[in-house]
Parts: sequence; C-alpha cells; structure tokens
Amino acid sequence: MMVKLEHVYKSFDRGKSFAVQDISLEVREGETVVLLGKSGCGKTTTLRMINRLVEPTKGLIEVDGRDVRTRDPVMLRRSIGYVFQGIGLFPHLTVEKNIRTSLSLLGWSKSRQKQRVRQLLDLVELDPDEYANRLPRELSGGQQQRVGVARALAGSPKYLLMDEPFGALDAITRDLLQQQLLEIQRKVGVTVVFVTHDIFEALNVASRIAVLNQGRLEQIGTKEEIVNEPQTEFVREIFAKPAGQLRRYRSLL
Amino acid sequence: MNQFWNVVIERFPEVVTRTGEHFILTGLSTLIATLVGIPLGIIAYRTRLLRHLLVAIVNLFQTIPSLAMLAILLVLLGKIGFAPALVALVLYALLPIVRNTITGLNEISADINEAGKGIGMTDGQLLWRVQLPLALPVIMAGIRTAAVVCVGIATLSAFIGAGGLGQFINRGLATYNMNLILLGAIPAAMLAMVVDGCLSLSERAVEPTPFTERHKLRYRLKPAFAILPFILFVSGMLLVLIGGARDDTSPSSSGEAVTVGCKNFTEQLILGELMAQLIEAHTELRVERRFNLGGTMICHNALARGEIDIYSEYTGTALTAILKEPATINPKVAYARVARVYKRRYDLIWLKPFGFNNTYTVTVRQLDAKKHNWNTISDLVPDARKLHAGFTSEFMEREDGYRGLKQVYGLTFGKISDLEASLMYQALAQRQVDVICGFATDGRIAAYNLLPLEDDKAFFPPYYAAPVVRQEILERHPEIRSALALIAGRIDDAIMQQLNYRVDQGHMDTRSVARDFLRGPK
Repeated sequence: MMVKLEHVYKSFDRGKSFAVQDISLEVREGETVVLLGKSGCGKTTTLRMINRLVEPTKGLIEVDGRDVRTRDPVMLRRSIGYVFQGIGLFPHLTVEKNIRTSLSLLGWSKSRQKQRVRQLLDLVELDPDEYANRLPRELSGGQQQRVGVARALAGSPKYLLMDEPFGALDAITRDLLQQQLLEIQRKVGVTVVFVTHDIFEALNVASRIAVLNQGRLEQIGTKEEIVNEPQTEFVREIFAKPAGQLRRYRSLL
Repeated sequence: MNQFWNVVIERFPEVVTRTGEHFILTGLSTLIATLVGIPLGIIAYRTRLLRHLLVAIVNLFQTIPSLAMLAILLVLLGKIGFAPALVALVLYALLPIVRNTITGLNEISADINEAGKGIGMTDGQLLWRVQLPLALPVIMAGIRTAAVVCVGIATLSAFIGAGGLGQFINRGLATYNMNLILLGAIPAAMLAMVVDGCLSLSERAVEPTPFTERHKLRYRLKPAFAILPFILFVSGMLLVLIGGARDDTSPSSSGEAVTVGCKNFTEQLILGELMAQLIEAHTELRVERRFNLGGTMICHNALARGEIDIYSEYTGTALTAILKEPATINPKVAYARVARVYKRRYDLIWLKPFGFNNTYTVTVRQLDAKKHNWNTISDLVPDARKLHAGFTSEFMEREDGYRGLKQVYGLTFGKISDLEASLMYQALAQRQVDVICGFATDGRIAAYNLLPLEDDKAFFPPYYAAPVVRQEILERHPEIRSALALIAGRIDDAIMQQLNYRVDQGHMDTRSVARDFLRGPK
C-alpha cells in the first residue's frame, strides 16, 4: 500500500461546493493509476493533494503509510516527481541546470549531479552532448516535456505525479512519449499517478483507471473491467462515444 | 564656438570635479534606491494589499515637481547641500525600480512558479533561484530608467548648493552666459548616455543566453558586463577624489573658514565674490563659497542655521519676504527696522549697505516710451490693457510686486506671462513682451535701450543691499566687519549696473569682474 486516499473532500469556497467529494482509492507499487475525467471533474485537484500543493478539506491521504499532513510539504515534494502540462522548465537555465536544480535541492554533490544528468538524458532519449547546454526555448515541445520528465525522475523518486503531461503535444509526439513513459517505468519501476481527459491515452498507459465525474469517483478498475463492466451510466457513455466514433471512421474507409 | 572651447579649457578641472559630483549624486541615489526598491518590490509582489499602497506612495513622489520636492526636503531636513538632494533623487529613483521589480516578478508565468514549488523549493529558494533571475532584466531596465532620470534631476540640486553640473547651468542662466550653460548641459547629456549605455549592457548581460562554443568568450564575459555599472560608479568617485582644484575654495587651505553664500543671479554672484575677495585679502580667514543658492528663503534659512555665514540681502526683500511686514518707503527707517529685528530674532547683523538701491522698476522700451509719451508708471495706466507684461513668478506673488502695483496705480495689463528673471530683458527688447519688472541695477537696461519708468506714487520700497552676517562669526572675527566696510557706500546704481553689464553682456566671469573693481582707483 503506497499511496492511499480515504474519504477525501476538497472545497475551495468554504463548503458551499466540493471540487472533490468522498474519494477513496489506493495506488499500489509499480502500477500506473490514471485519473480520467472531463475538465473540472476534480482529477487535478486530487493529484495535487498528494504532494500537498492543495490541502484537503476533509479526509486522510497517506504516502508510504504516513499521513501527509505530518510531513513538511517541501520535503514531501522533493521525494515525489511532478510533471504537468505547463512543463515549467526554468527558462533562464540550461537543460542540464534545470535537471540539476532538483538534485541540488536534495543536496547532491556537483560531480554526482553531472553524472546523473547524462544518465537521465539517455533515459529520455536526448543526446546529452547535444542538449545539455541548450536553453528550454531552443527545444521542441516534445523535447521540453522529456526534460520535464527527466527532471521529475532526477532524484529517483518512488512516485511520479503526472498532470496531463502530454496534453499540449501533437498526436504523434504524444503517442511516442506514452511509449517512452511505459519503457522508462519498466526500467526504473516508478509508481505513477497520471491525470488525463484523453480516453486513448488512459487506455495506453494505465494499469488501472479511476473515472471521476463532478468530484466523485465513479469507478476504479483495470481497463478491461472499466470497458466491459461499467458500473455507472457515466462510465458506459464515455467509453461508448469513442467506440461509435471508431465505427464511423472505419465506415469512411 | 572658439570662445566655448576657451571656456572649456579654462574650466576643465572644475568640469571634472562637477562631473564627479554629479556622478556621485546620481550613482549613490540610484544605488540606495536599488537597495531599498528591490526589497520593497518583492514585499509588494507578495502581499497584494501592500502592493497598491506602495505603488500609490511611490507614484505620488513622482508627481511632485523636482524643484518643489527639493524645497520641501530643504524644510523637512533643515539643511542645504548634499543630503536633501540625495533624498530627493532617491525618492524619484524609487518608482521605476519598485514598479519594474513588481512587473518583472508578475510577468513570470504561473507554470514556472508551480514547477518550482512542485519540485520542492521553499519560497526563498523559488525567489532566489527562479523569480529574481527571471525578473532581473526587467529590474535592470528599471534601474536604468532611474539612473537616467537622476542624471537629469541632479542638475536641479545645484539650487540648494549640492554641487554637480547644475552649478554651471545655474550660473549660466543667472549671468545669461550660454557657454556656461553648455558647459553643464553637455557633460550632463554625455553622462546620461554613458550611464544608459552601461546599464543597457548589463541589462543584456543578465538576460539568459545559451552557452555555445562559438560565443564562448562572450558567455564568459557576461558577469563582467553585469558589474560594469558598479565599476563606473567607483571610477566616478575616483574622478572626484583626484579631480582638479575646486574653484569654490580658496587656494590656502589652512586656517579657519568663513562661508559666503549668494542667490542665483548676477548681482548676487558679484556681491558674493566682492565680499569673499575682501575677506581673503584683508583677513587670515579661508573663504568657502556656497554660491547660486536657489532663492531668498534658501539663503536666509541657510544663514539662520549657520550653514553659511554671510550673504547680501536687500532691505525691501528682508522686510516683506522674510519679516512679512508691510514695506516701508523711507530707506533709513527700513534699514533700521530690519537691522533691529534681525538681531533680536535671528542673531544676524546687517552691516553697512553697499550704496545702490536695486528696487523693482516698471520697465519699457525707450522707443515706446517716446512714442506714447510715457515717463511715469501713471502714464502707463490708460494704455495698460493693450500691453503684454512679462513678470517673474516672484514679482507676481509679492505684496510689493504686482499685487500692490495693481492696487496703488490701478494698473491692469492685457496679458501677463511668467518669465525667468534672466530672460525678461531680452524678451522685452525683442518685442515679445511690452513691460517687465526690471531691476534698477541691471546692466541690460542700458544695453538694450530700455527705460525704467518713474515710480511717481512711491510704491516700490527701497532695496538697499547690505551684507548680513551671523553675529557669532562677527564676534569671533571682528576683522570681517572692517574688511567689508571697505566697499560700504562705494557702489551706487550706475556702478552696479556696469558690473552687472560686464558679466551679463561682456561674458566676463564674476571673479575677475570683482577683482578688477577692487583693484580699481579708490
């Protein structure tokens, strides 16, 4: 039992309405749990509560069996990798220094930092000799996001939180990075919580999918369980629509 | 043009000194404003409530005209010289720096802040490692604006005796000497450009650029460019320290000093020189000249506080502007009155008057006077509505100026413009105005064929000039009294007009005009 949410609520307006309502779920070691839902369903808020970028209004969140409220938020965040759609590379620092920032926060020595940067760039398939000294603005969107992933993985965290990390990329690059992510995960064995609104992306990367709607958890399970045995009307509908689209697409050929 | 180069060569050591002073004033105020402004900007950025308040306050400083600001600070700090000028400049420099710090920090995208927080930076780490470096080019631009604004405004601080290049400009304006104005204005403009250039270099140096083998050298030199302004500041200070002889201190640097002041127009500069040279010649004292102070109140307050020891004042001015009493027509009564009250109230002593009466006159062109048969001010009354008057701002506001004139003579001019004292004679001669409030002893009255009309209702009070000295210094050094007595009663209206003329039209410097007069037949 690695990450655990128990009856978690979050309200941004002192209880008038809830962005997250009564969500309970568990993320097991080495798996990728996808939080799937439309925008505004509470999936990002749920993710951000795990590394205390947002504090829950009610409920319990545990990481490694410890209540996150008992941990210093800064130290907690350093131990968890975080990647989001905005990427957020520091524009004034080179690729190498961007990645080293995470490591220097962890107190690594300079020589170890440099070594690790080469390893990480190899891992995300960017040639260190070519890219280490570039500024973020000299990279393509896909390359930037790979650096973002490298930075998040720098300190070998057990967990990686990913908030629509590939949302701003074109379909081909997105697909490529999804494959890379699966490979990286196989290599380093990190546990991932992944937020997306894209059903195909969810099916692509997930070990298990948690479907969220209006702040509530509709269903959590493997792809097969979700697709074949939808437990609510909402879940059935969101998977029915792309299936219909696919049929129409085929009929055009 | 040739003449200008002569002036440059002749005054070069002083130009160096003044430029250095200007530099220190500008550099130091920008430095202080930076050290104060950036933290203020950071605080404002972090607390929204404070942001509006702070920006409103620094904005307010900007709206106060520079000269008014200097005057206000003069009163608040109770001092002339470097300190109030520095404070004023710091207040002006604050706005661009605070505003740009806030803007620079605000412009950082939410994503970057989110990323910093997300990878586990504390607020302080986020500020130092991410936010400040990213905002730095914008902050540097603010510092650059501030520095250039300061170079400009610093020229005004010469009005309160803070030195700098404004001193040339002031003296040039006061004595109507274009060469002197240029001597201050050109180095000031060059200084502004150098400061702007250096700061824009360092602004570009703090901008992030990638490291490439081709631009290796440029990349390595970036830190050097970034600290260029600092190097410039230090070299400016050195310039002042090694800068040539200061013209305002006498050559002999030993012995006790007495400080002579004066206001910022030709006659005052000549009287100041005369008194200074007499004291230098006939006593053992060293003379410090704090000339060109921007007006009666500044001189008077400086004297009352002991920042200067002597300056020359006019009986009429003392009576109305300082003692706030009604003007007295009888010259002897006026002198007795100011002498008595000054001693009792301020411990200041009026010495014997120089002799001339520099009263206001209503002055017109001789040609017009002949044509319309104007001899007295009363003659002007029927035609006044058709005339355009050019008066100094001081004359407009004084009881013994236009307000009283209007009442006593029933004068109403068609149009009145505020004019600078040094420009109004020329404006009259060139027919841009028809009437001015000339001074009886101004050399330009004769030079431009102007005519002071007779004050037939004896409205203008007497303005006999005399040295005013601090009692304390007079008791310690009674020899000052006897030295100054040497020219008491020896300068009548005609002589004063001549002396003024030599400076205003002959473009001689006040020092040699005074020296020639003192050497002349006695």
